[in-house]
Amino acid sequence: MSTRVVGRPHPIIDAVEKVSGATVFINDLELPGALTGMALRSPHPHARILNLDTMDAERLPGVAVVLSKNNTPDAPFGINHKDEAAFCREKVRYVGDEVAAVAAVDEETAREALSLIRVEYEVLPTVADPFAAQEPDAPLVHDSVAGNIANEFHIKRGGIDEAFHAADATFADEFHTHLAHQAYIEPTGCAAQWHPDGKISVWGCLQSVFLIRTFMLGPVMGMSADDFRVTQTKPGGAFGGKLDVKAALMAAMLSRAAEKPVKFMMSLEEDLIAMRPRMPVHISLESAWKRDGTLAGKRVRIVAENGAYSSLSPAIMSSIALRTDNLYKTPAAEIQGKLVYTNIIPSGQMRGFGNVQATYAWESHLDNVADGLGLDPADLRLKNYTEKGDVSLHGWKIASCAVADATRHVVREMDWKAKRARGGEGRGVGLASCIHVSGNKGFSVELGPDDTDPSSGVVRVDEEGKVEIWSGESDLGQGATSVMAYIASEVMGIPVDRFKVPPTDTGYMPFGMGAFASRITLIGGNAVKIAAEDARRNLLDAAAEFMEIPADELEIVEGDVRAKALPERKMTVGEVVSRTGSVIEGNGKWLAGGDVLDKEKYGNPSTTYSFSTHGAEVEVDMETGVVTVLQVCCGHDPGRVINRLGAEGQVEGGVVQGMSFAMMEGLAPLEGHLRGRNFHDYLIATSMDAPPIEHDFFESMDPYGPYGAKGLAEVAINPITAAICNAVYHATGGARIRTLPVSPERVLEAIEEARNQNTS
Amino acid sequence: MNTYEINMRVNEKDETLDVQGDETLLRALRRIGYVEVKLSCEGGDCGACAILLDGVAVNACLMFAAQADGSEVTTVRGIGTEDDLHPVQEQLIEKGGVQCGFCTPGVVVSAKALLDENAAPSREDIQRGLAGNLCRCTGYKKIFEAVSAAARQMREGDDS
Repeated sequence: MSTRVVGRPHPIIDAVEKVSGATVFINDLELPGALTGMALRSPHPHARILNLDTMDAERLPGVAVVLSKNNTPDAPFGINHKDEAAFCREKVRYVGDEVAAVAAVDEETAREALSLIRVEYEVLPTVADPFAAQEPDAPLVHDSVAGNIANEFHIKRGGIDEAFHAADATFADEFHTHLAHQAYIEPTGCAAQWHPDGKISVWGCLQSVFLIRTFMLGPVMGMSADDFRVTQTKPGGAFGGKLDVKAALMAAMLSRAAEKPVKFMMSLEEDLIAMRPRMPVHISLESAWKRDGTLAGKRVRIVAENGAYSSLSPAIMSSIALRTDNLYKTPAAEIQGKLVYTNIIPSGQMRGFGNVQATYAWESHLDNVADGLGLDPADLRLKNYTEKGDVSLHGWKIASCAVADATRHVVREMDWKAKRARGGEGRGVGLASCIHVSGNKGFSVELGPDDTDPSSGVVRVDEEGKVEIWSGESDLGQGATSVMAYIASEVMGIPVDRFKVPPTDTGYMPFGMGAFASRITLIGGNAVKIAAEDARRNLLDAAAEFMEIPADELEIVEGDVRAKALPERKMTVGEVVSRTGSVIEGNGKWLAGGDVLDKEKYGNPSTTYSFSTHGAEVEVDMETGVVTVLQVCCGHDPGRVINRLGAEGQVEGGVVQGMSFAMMEGLAPLEGHLRGRNFHDYLIATSMDAPPIEHDFFESMDPYGPYGAKGLAEVAINPITAAICNAVYHATGGARIRTLPVSPERVLEAIEEARNQNTS
Repeated sequence: MNTYEINMRVNEKDETLDVQGDETLLRALRRIGYVEVKLSCEGGDCGACAILLDGVAVNACLMFAAQADGSEVTTVRGIGTEDDLHPVQEQLIEKGGVQCGFCTPGVVVSAKALLDENAAPSREDIQRGLAGNLCRCTGYKKIFEAVSAAARQMREGDDS
């Protein structure tokens, strides 16, 4: 089907305001009379609060209110476990834990007030290591949780013992990932304004304005979701980190107590030590193979570091455990997962939702397997990939799939065969693939209203022919709402530059779950497409009356309604709306496909799935261990590209963010204290690190997607870590990076290990 | 803490203000409404607060406001606004070099400073020129393309 808008390159619809510095981020929001909110955070990883005295702070002139366990109810919240309180009760459980908060006339006064809060701690032994935490005599992070186990499961499917018994070859590996932050450049913040009728307005850089009310604000504050009007300010990056934002709770609680507006802005340091960074995991893998390279079975054991509180962590661990099994035809699997509480910053979701870690481990393991079987790593993958029409052993239904095309592209463009024939002399190539959901039914139950994973949209055309789209989904800077505008523009025949998509607002917009799980293009896009079709029908019906031509003989081209047979008979869309004396609206709603998984984690969690393959070429200095990524080459299957410029931006940004995670990042906890507290301790990729990236899209035209599109944000980041590690393995003749990041020290250790193995 | 009265010319507008001795230029500029200068790391790492101080790109978080007394400050809005965009801004739009937009004001300032000195920068020159501006969204590629295209656009503009 030929398209006018879809598939072409467009600037994001708010690009002009962004390049001219006119965008109002949360810290730029003017709220007259707003107080400054600030938190007192625990300096200890683990300590009992013996006494908490806020009297001097309350007496300080300019201080409106001080909140702590002393004057707030014990109302724990959490998505899987209600294990976190607004303010620490009997204990602090990580460095950064909120002990108290103040609202004062200015920052200086607020800071002074914090210094006047006297807390008497009894320091307790720190539980920092997830393996030591499981020992019988280990201190307990939560006194009621035995063994510090936040969650565990054990699944066996498809005759796994027989598969290993009958295998021609088996392989085993262990991998460890590190604690890494989303490191958006905009520190997190929220503002709140209490109203005399008891309702509260909240603003913030949030990924989901609707859900923050139901899983955090409402339950903790003893109010209903409708008591909050939450408005998104454009986030300065989010990447998963701005989904569960406690700053919203702090601002709202302080505002209610002070009966004044409050702005609660976190410093970058607070953000780095007290948000919810990517979960570190320890993954043991065993796999069974036939001699020809056919996968027969797989065993996975995971120990996942939950940190002090458990938000979406069980779901993240589940994603790590099961996801890669669905990328390849896996006949049998045994999966064990343990999620362990520690006295470290609570871990959480970051772009990939565990799949970055899982893909790193499994795709690294696959290259070891290929080596052991004497097969080319690309061929091994091509032999085993899932295909359209498959139902995986976990019940995932593959509705569209172009991963093999993506891999063949990488092989061709990187001159793979010739480069693989060399290697071992400090230069090498590697590749890796991934599968990812486009929405996840589980979230709809855990976070949303029911099991439907819904999205809805309203499309409103005004008398100037301009169109506003209301969607409950949110733009994080990735261009999600631009995608909606292009879809609606395509449907309605109205030029792209007439569309506007305001930031999400629970006050007047229809419900949407928000931006996570790569769900917006598929789920939000379908809802908006249906709304746009409705608006188009309503426009044509109105025009039919005014033009005295049946609606089915009319079309909309470039913003004009015209007779198909007689194009010079036309009205502008604006004229049509104007003559109706009202706006013309369209409504749409779309419910995601798939199932909520059963207790054994069986089921089809997403409507459809996206795929990608990343290839990397590296140079390794064998003396210093320094790795340079010379080039990256990728193929992605996003179903269909809606906005080529935006899709390319997702890929390029995902690759560099993933490379940064793989090679230089890490909060580096030491006995519960984090060493990454600013961007000179916590390094992220700069322009100097960005490698040349070549990539293309392989459009599988998904049967459920709007114009065939599915998610792209996360397949853009998942495989690059393993691709780099596999290239290092090839370049060094066998140095396998089993612990991230790929630092020079680790590379030298791995080179040494490989040399010892080769000589033994 | 001493208070100082300082005079600055910000985006060709005269500003007189009282500043505390320890107030950074970043904080002072934001306080009087120049919120397009972004506050993030306050340690000279991220470049989101980059401005031109007498034509030279600096991080506004790394100097005291009092040090800017008598200086000319240019923010992203002094380089170009919605109705009158600079070629760097036009090309960031066209090439897709902007996503969340938080680092963008600093990127525009650094790119402008680079092009003022080097009308035909190579990819390496651009990488170096933007080394102080962290961007977490784009992977930098489209920013490089935008700056390169802006340089071309400006050279062609000069020729005509």
